[in-house]
Amino acid sequence: MFVPWLLKLAVDAFQHPRPDGHPPSFYALLIMGAAAGQGIVRILSRTVLLNTSREIEYLIRNDLFARVVTLDQLSLARERTGDIISRFSNDLTNVRMLMGFGILSTINTVIIYLAAVFLMCRISPLLTLYAVLPFPIMILIVKRISAAMFHRSRRAQEELARISSQVEENASAAAVIRAYCREEAQSRRFREAGEHYLKSNLAIARLRGLMMPVMAGSGGAGALIVLFIGGSRVIAGTLTLGDFVAFNGYLAMLVWPSIIMGWILNLMQRGAASMSRLNHILEARPAVTEPADPIRPEAIRGEIEFRNLSFAYDSLPVLDGISLTVSPGMKVGITGPVGSGKSTLMKLAGRLLPVRDGQLFIDGTEINRIPLADLRNAIGFVPQESFLFSRSLRDNIAYGREDASEETVATAARLARLDGDIERFPDGYDTLVGERGVTLSGGQRQRAAIARALAKDPSILLLDDPLSAVDARTEEEILAGLAGFHGDRTVLVVSNRISALQGCDLIVVLDAGKIAEQGTHDELLARNGQYAAICREQQLRAEIEAL
Amino acid sequence: MHFAGLHEEEIVGKAYDRRLLARFLGYVRPYRWQATLSLLLLGPMAAARLAQPWILKLAIDNHIVTGRMAGLPLLALYYLLMLIAESLLTFAEVYLLQNIGQRVMFDLRLELFDRMQRLPTRFFDRTPTGSLVTRLTSDVEVLGEMFAAGIVSVVGDMLVLAGIVGIMLWMNWQLSLVTFSVLPLLLWVTFTFRIRMRTAYRQVRARLAGLNAFLAECLGGMAVVQMFNRQRHEEKEFRRLNASYRDANLPVITWDASLYALVETLSSVAVGLIVWYGGGEILRGALTFGALVAFIQYIEKFFSPIRDLSAKYSVMQGAMAALERIFTLLDQEREDTAGTRVEPVGRTTTSAVAAGPVQSIEFRDVWFAYSGDDYVLKGFNLTIRRGEKIALVGETGGGKTTVTRLLSRLYDPGRGSILLNGTDIREMPLPDLRRRIGVVLQDPYLFTGSLAYNIALDDEEARRRTERAAVTVGADRFIERLPGRFDEEIRERGSNLSVGERQLVSFARAVAFDPEILVLDEATASVDSASERLIQEGINRLMAGRTSLVVAHRLSTVRDADRIVVVHRGEKAEEGTHDELMIRKGLYYRLHQLQFRD
Repeated sequence: MFVPWLLKLAVDAFQHPRPDGHPPSFYALLIMGAAAGQGIVRILSRTVLLNTSREIEYLIRNDLFARVVTLDQLSLARERTGDIISRFSNDLTNVRMLMGFGILSTINTVIIYLAAVFLMCRISPLLTLYAVLPFPIMILIVKRISAAMFHRSRRAQEELARISSQVEENASAAAVIRAYCREEAQSRRFREAGEHYLKSNLAIARLRGLMMPVMAGSGGAGALIVLFIGGSRVIAGTLTLGDFVAFNGYLAMLVWPSIIMGWILNLMQRGAASMSRLNHILEARPAVTEPADPIRPEAIRGEIEFRNLSFAYDSLPVLDGISLTVSPGMKVGITGPVGSGKSTLMKLAGRLLPVRDGQLFIDGTEINRIPLADLRNAIGFVPQESFLFSRSLRDNIAYGREDASEETVATAARLARLDGDIERFPDGYDTLVGERGVTLSGGQRQRAAIARALAKDPSILLLDDPLSAVDARTEEEILAGLAGFHGDRTVLVVSNRISALQGCDLIVVLDAGKIAEQGTHDELLARNGQYAAICREQQLRAEIEAL
Repeated sequence: MHFAGLHEEEIVGKAYDRRLLARFLGYVRPYRWQATLSLLLLGPMAAARLAQPWILKLAIDNHIVTGRMAGLPLLALYYLLMLIAESLLTFAEVYLLQNIGQRVMFDLRLELFDRMQRLPTRFFDRTPTGSLVTRLTSDVEVLGEMFAAGIVSVVGDMLVLAGIVGIMLWMNWQLSLVTFSVLPLLLWVTFTFRIRMRTAYRQVRARLAGLNAFLAECLGGMAVVQMFNRQRHEEKEFRRLNASYRDANLPVITWDASLYALVETLSSVAVGLIVWYGGGEILRGALTFGALVAFIQYIEKFFSPIRDLSAKYSVMQGAMAALERIFTLLDQEREDTAGTRVEPVGRTTTSAVAAGPVQSIEFRDVWFAYSGDDYVLKGFNLTIRRGEKIALVGETGGGKTTVTRLLSRLYDPGRGSILLNGTDIREMPLPDLRRRIGVVLQDPYLFTGSLAYNIALDDEEARRRTERAAVTVGADRFIERLPGRFDEEIRERGSNLSVGERQLVSFARAVAFDPEILVLDEATASVDSASERLIQEGINRLMAGRTSLVVAHRLSTVRDADRIVVVHRGEKAEEGTHDELMIRKGLYYRLHQLQFRD
């Protein structure tokens, strides 16, 4: 801020040199000193403000994650994963930009404007008025242009979304398009979408092209006014040459902040829009919540009672009036056609989905009143898709128990028949799973997921079709191993394989969300219903396999 | 730190960047005149920009200091003209560059799309759709940013810088040298900071990628996280990754802020030097006030492009990475050139085959594996004659669907050959082959667009047959009930139609293309009995009078077939009519009991 003023003093001193005046070096040193001071202030203000914006970003991101981990499967199913990730990255970036650069530039602009206008007024108020005249007009024009750009960009964004959905469609329908030789027609359609997008973008380019000259022009217009009016005044003697130089200096300083102002206005709009998208997550209310009035069981023994349990995804009914009592230590097999509600039943038992009051009881206690941590600690869960984390096998198996000893991990792996595979990996239990490590086969993944559930030493074991990717011989071995492990644990196992079901104390056949049959293997065979049909089918299948 | 390694990587990177750029320039070629014009405009633009301080100098020296009012308005007019010229030229330049950029993006996108459509089906088995979408959208967009952020304007900036240096030296070389004594420092500062910032940026990107990967994984496995009570733990880990990302950003901020402030400060120091030396010169009468003012203005114009050099640099880096990914996709082998070409078995010329109607189709000792040595078909043999209806039956995973995929060359056999009228289908142009075959997939794919579009898929001839085709398969009944009839908009993946209706649309599609050979993979999905009846009627009408190959799950389709082929473990196990095979009491008999239980 001081540099133009010092320049003014210097120029005035040079124009009318006085013997007792300061030498040029004096002014030069003052200018350099001011510059150094300004530099330090700049570094500090930028660093502090931008670091703060990063800190805010960090805090918001933590809050977002903390909220996301409380969301139940029902809420998560409604959001697309890509959308949530984009909120974590793009929207958060917009908010951070507003907090960082937005605030920094606003402060900067305000200070520069106030100081420059004040100092310019000290020199000549009237000239200041003339010189600053173009700036409000310019800010207005910039704002208009950026509003138009915002509008256009939104349209372009929609057109880009069309392009990307066409690409998506083309890739997913690759077989159909090839089979019907529709490549050229597809290219035509794509070209059309591309042309629309091109047109929108060219319109944006025109606006953007307009922005630059408007900005440069209004700065220059001010300079022109100063040159003409200011110049005449210097000639008339009402203004010194130093004043004239300083004026030019201040005017140059105003150009950039004015440009920034237009930009900040945009940034605010975008930041506000993004913040509301973040709030959508931050204020999301999970349907599965901690009980307000919890009952803490001493230890869960494993009695499960479904009392007229019903469940619907939005308006799609899945389970309809399931009543079933499973006493502690009982092994229950669940089977039924695709979409009959087997997996939903398992998820409800672990309260991954919301359960209505009075429909599900654990050890006689309403499930919604048991603290979530207590409930889930008692349950070993093997999901249908055996999801593993890209960490070491040990970490994956000990996932439910951080304090698990080497022995616990090894025992769990042995019960799940994974120990042999692990021995063959060069890194053993330290083998990394996933992208950066070994790609496990479907069967290995399922066995690792079983080992993970067993390592928890749960009193209730929920197995959702755990052996579908395992060959028959391994399945038998695992079942034998599990039988020893089951002991007094309650087991609910979903399977379509008779071999996994026949040893159960009770077999439940689900159909369209209702219990169609229940009983032991022999009872159900004698009944000659759905279960018996499935049995016959599998025997035939086995015979065909053997041919 | 592995300084040597880092250095090496950089050298390799640069050489590669040059190659990428050279290839990219090929895409700018069609617009070379516009590009040349944009380069030519840079000269006058720089001149208009540089003239402004000079006019100011003249005004000060000739009028303001000497007190001559006459002539000042003329100079002001010149100044105004230069301003207008600069504005217009800037607009033209920005628009021209963006115009080229957007058109290049458009061309590149079309080429990518065309290439994508020529990729072998295998490619789609191992490439997630999302990454293809990214190639055609975000990656191409980044290139646009390169044009928008004014990489080309760097050339203009250089011109301005050179012009400033020239004018200043010409005006007063001693003063210029004194002023430019800050340049070595400036160069050193930008250079060192750039290297530091690049290393820091790399760290930031790596940590952000790690953070996002962790987030994506947790979102995918949320059920496991919750069932194993690990929310706290995952949160802690997320906080740690998040903090490490934040901390990686801090040096970038510090370096960036320091660079910005130092460049500003150096510019003020240069002004100080001008005042120091120039002041003395003025006092000695060796320099005019106008020249001093012009010097100061020139030096300010000199520093402003240097300030945002680092931003431009990072845009450039991003564009290079995107180009590399785009070119990798463009370099994928096309399906019509991919795979091993075999010597033609028959001696018939291709054109003769293309002209004549289909007389026979023969699978001769066909072996095929989707990956490695995991063969799905092991020496499969089958001959189909004109007009025959063949039903393929067998257990899932036995290779039935693979047979149909090989026939339309969605995949090529590893060994053996498929002959059409005695000619290897690999010797035929792909469109010739596929035009003859109508394929109905198990899971019918519907596009967003009108119902009519979904039947004719924008094909002229098929469009004329659209309504008749719908009537033929019996789809007209449900179409009549739709509010928009044939113009009814189909939502993503046909979600506003029932499973049975979707099947009928895909049947109508096959009929509208009037193929010689019909390949039908019957849906296994269980549907309600009304849909079931619709579908069954549709299939019967679809097959009337055509050579057809059906992967059959339905009793009636199998019964009506001229021949039933049992595919078991990749081989043809049995062959014959329903009655023949039932009497034999072999594999088909058992399958029949299993699959066609009533």
